[in-house]
Amino acid sequence: MLLSEKAGTSTSHGKTNRCIIERIMAKIENGRQSADSRSIRTISSSHMDDESSLGSDSEMNGFTNDRHTDKYGFIGGAQQYSEESAQDVPPEVLRQREVKWLDMLSNWDKWMVKRHKKVRLRCQKGIPPSLRGRAWLYLSGGKVKREQNRGKFEELDSQAGDPKELDVIEKDLHRQFPFHEMFVSRGGHGQKDLFRVLKAYTLYRPEEGYCQAQAPIAAVLLMHMPAEDAFWGLVQICEKYLPGYYSAGLEAIQLDGEILYALTRRVSPITYRHLEKHKIEPILYMTEWFMCAFSRTLPWASVLRVWDMFLCDGVKIIFRVGLVLLKCMLGTREKLNACQGQYETMELLRAIEPRYMQEGFLVREVLDVPISERDVESEHHVQLKRWRKNRGELHWKSPPRMHGARAIMASEPPSRQDLRQNPTIIVESPLPAPQLQKREKKGKEEKKSIKKGSMKKTPPVTEIPNPYNLPGDPKLPLRDPLLPLRDPLLPLRDPLLPLRDPLPQLPLRDPQPTLRDSPAQKPLVNDTPLPNTLKDSHLPQQPALNDQPVFNDQSLLKESPLQMSRQSLSSTEADHQDTYL
Amino acid sequence: MGDESYNFVFKVVLIGESGVGKSNLLSRFTKNEFNHDSRTTIGVEFSTRTVQLDTFTIKAQIWDTAGLERYRAITSAYYRGAVGAMLVYDITKHLTYESVERWLKELYDHADPHILVMLVGNKSDLETLRTVPTLEAKEFAEKKGLLFMETSALDSTNVEAAFQEVLTGSYYVALCFISLYTKRWTTACHVNLYYSSVCTFLPCTFYVMCVFMT
Repeated sequence: MLLSEKAGTSTSHGKTNRCIIERIMAKIENGRQSADSRSIRTISSSHMDDESSLGSDSEMNGFTNDRHTDKYGFIGGAQQYSEESAQDVPPEVLRQREVKWLDMLSNWDKWMVKRHKKVRLRCQKGIPPSLRGRAWLYLSGGKVKREQNRGKFEELDSQAGDPKELDVIEKDLHRQFPFHEMFVSRGGHGQKDLFRVLKAYTLYRPEEGYCQAQAPIAAVLLMHMPAEDAFWGLVQICEKYLPGYYSAGLEAIQLDGEILYALTRRVSPITYRHLEKHKIEPILYMTEWFMCAFSRTLPWASVLRVWDMFLCDGVKIIFRVGLVLLKCMLGTREKLNACQGQYETMELLRAIEPRYMQEGFLVREVLDVPISERDVESEHHVQLKRWRKNRGELHWKSPPRMHGARAIMASEPPSRQDLRQNPTIIVESPLPAPQLQKREKKGKEEKKSIKKGSMKKTPPVTEIPNPYNLPGDPKLPLRDPLLPLRDPLLPLRDPLLPLRDPLPQLPLRDPQPTLRDSPAQKPLVNDTPLPNTLKDSHLPQQPALNDQPVFNDQSLLKESPLQMSRQSLSSTEADHQDTYL
Repeated sequence: MGDESYNFVFKVVLIGESGVGKSNLLSRFTKNEFNHDSRTTIGVEFSTRTVQLDTFTIKAQIWDTAGLERYRAITSAYYRGAVGAMLVYDITKHLTYESVERWLKELYDHADPHILVMLVGNKSDLETLRTVPTLEAKEFAEKKGLLFMETSALDSTNVEAAFQEVLTGSYYVALCFISLYTKRWTTACHVNLYYSSVCTFLPCTFYVMCVFMT
């Protein structure tokens, strides 16, 4: 309103007004005051305060107020989503996967013990984005850690922290994923949470302190889960998956560099000989790769796929990705002839060709690398002996490495209680208890779309009326976005009536799905109506689904997911139909 | 190799505490870019730029490393073959200046003992927040036999000059070395004299990467 009024005035005046308005809005968004007098500002941005990212370098670098984020939240930068290399999974497949994952997560211990191979396969195919955060927390054992240490994070969060460590952490806050919308604002909620998580870790393990590479790890976790969960995820990665990586002396990473070098000899001897000839030490190229688990190297889609596999199977995935990159860039005579020296080789390794990092290609190659946990461990043994001979004892004795989710779970067996999901949004319903459990999970899915700042622990609400209902519309209940979309042609069932008695109720999906606009479900509801094939081919093992998850005014879903879960655990699944890798 | 021919390749390393501006000095010199939110350096970054000295073309390979304390354990590989080092501190943070002694020790432990070192006081654009007086740093540099300059990667002040001086110094060292090697003693003496006026110099055992291309 103000803007349009001022439309006729001079540009500088109009811009000042716009800036003021934006600043106010940014303040409201971020909701706090802060003064950071020590931050460096360029001259033109000196009138901006911290909350607004206006005048920050995202603007200097050309990103204006109407910046466009890609589907992962990136405004720009090298890791941004690109159409050409995109490999999007069709929504129906995503829905199926979500159902399977929900089932696994509800019976996590059973799946990990009895059907771990299936869990691994599903991680390799990629965790559905809506459940990624939760799945990562379960895979890493962070969920169990959190349950067993209730209140610990709050305690650490409230403590002051070592000023020296905090100083270094603060210097890094605006230097992690600066092209991601979550971290672009200085003093914004993303950076704040990053600070909290990193500070908490330095208090949790004061003897370890802070290592700069922990920040990108924490940032990736924060993009998928709230601060407390991200903290426990970080703990697990630093202690179980990559122990010693971030400790003083950085001995573990050097050792792994030597292991990578030795494994290169096995996988691509020509590359090994080249690296040896030009005295290219592994530490010169693999440091950032390994310490950040490739989160700064690969395009984002690939980062997520690698992390899905890494959190399931451990460090061998990291080794495999490194070996794939080395083999692709330096694996043939022609390529090696093109780089004559140390510098040229390193330049090549720094600028990996995008086609080698593309999601589908990379995952396929990684799965093909013939390196197992045993290979990693045996090589570790060899290199450790060499180290002891040349450099003496290790100064920092790290705990033994856990090779993935199963090993972690075996070493710290959780109780059933630990694995119970405790959603933060609970919707009351008159339906009996078992259905409630499934419905409550909906709350966690909302995290995926709503960026962390606005996702606070809300008190349980009794009813969430659809705010977008037009006066004439029938009151459509909120659907659980995780359930497969109904076939629009089948009528709704009333749960109290027997199966054979269809009622002439309105189909769920009306031509203008108002639900689509509901922010909580935005990313999960597909705009295009599902083809009729949904009921045909995709769910043979889940006949209950054809009864339709039922919707009436009060309830959200039926017991069909529970039925499905019981069936899927025992039946052989038609996973071969889900061939999207 | 490259489209341009060059006579020398000089490796220069940037060292100093975390956050003093090494990465931006690198990007300013090699790409004329500056970014407030440049990513934390983890591992090593590097970039090149070619400069002319006399009639020679010199390709400068500038290496940038992580500054945090614990990364010093792995930086020894970075020093190998370096002819020049720029030890950077932040003029607005006195602590970063105080750790210069430690960095020097680290440097001489791992790098060639005759490496050419320049002390660089960065962020000179923040004059109002200065905590390290120019004179004090200058005197320290002279005492230790280091070159000295204050720069600002943000507004480009002295960045070019600083790198040029380091490269020129390295160039004369290289000339001296080559002269000694080819037994042109008088040339070596002349170069040595010139060089000594800038900082201490000891001939022989200097590790220089030279590539001659016609």
